[in-house]
Amino acid sequence: MDIQESMRGAPSPVSLLRFLIVVVGGRYLALNTESISGLLTLEETGNVENPTVHGMVYGTLNLADRLSLSHDADGANTRVVLLSEGETRGSIRVPMVQGLLELQPIQVLPLPLQFHGAERQWYRGVILFAKTIALVINTTWLLNEQVSALESGGARKHSSACNDPTISMNDSRIC
Amino acid sequence: MLRTGRKHQRDAVRQPWQLLVFSVGERRLAVRTSEVSGISQWNESIPVAGRTPFVTAVVRQGQTVLPVFDLAAFLHLTVQGSSLLCLRVKHPLGEMAMCIDEEIPVLHTFDPAAIQTYHGKDLPAEGSYTNGLDEIPILAVPRLGSTA
Repeated sequence: MDIQESMRGAPSPVSLLRFLIVVVGGRYLALNTESISGLLTLEETGNVENPTVHGMVYGTLNLADRLSLSHDADGANTRVVLLSEGETRGSIRVPMVQGLLELQPIQVLPLPLQFHGAERQWYRGVILFAKTIALVINTTWLLNEQVSALESGGARKHSSACNDPTISMNDSRIC
Repeated sequence: MLRTGRKHQRDAVRQPWQLLVFSVGERRLAVRTSEVSGISQWNESIPVAGRTPFVTAVVRQGQTVLPVFDLAAFLHLTVQGSSLLCLRVKHPLGEMAMCIDEEIPVLHTFDPAAIQTYHGKDLPAEGSYTNGLDEIPILAVPRLGSTA
């Protein structure tokens, strides 16, 4: 299923942001649908580690590891989210997809400044969701970490984030 | 003019300190009331994976999301009680929440002369005061989270 394609039929103001809300390690996380190429079941991926769709390989990204979250076992509700930004692709397994959320950019709250560690790179903000919150994952960071690992055998890629594809967020640009 | 100025200065220095005295893990601590923005029931915090020491969660209060400074963990203590309280403080980076014991905080007013230097190294303090045999440190809220 191509999420962006499926939403084209529903006209909405250009400024709205859409997020796929998933649950990983018991936490609600939000993925900007601009970076999502597809959402597959494990069967649809052929149960392979690095799914290939239309000849494109989406290398597995371990989001739980990256965020130091507990690992979830694969289950009936497990889905594989295909991510892509420019030529960079990756996929993450999520034990549960909660749904899609459409928001005004102003509804994405900044991560409080008291969080001053590496997590400032991990998240693009906070969304009020149900009676809790969802953290907006910085997919550019996630995908670039994957590229770094593949290109340098685990060594960190030496590049500025500003060389990476930009994604609109909060009516501003990452770079 | 000079005398008036000096008197005004002296009055300012002698302004009594209004403190809120609360407990974390049964340890008494104080904070200036001017740095307190509210006290309410503690709602379950929402963990945020990250690398900032002692800031590892947020609490949602209506449409507001506040970072949580884990004062109990910072002091190697465990909050006490079944109806914990949320102390909201005015941090220079934005309002911040701390989970404190269920014991209802008390307001105290002190003459500045009663405030002494806090020599402990376990927390950032503006000073302390003595209550019987106890030395009660007065938290330096602006330095919380930056000294960890």
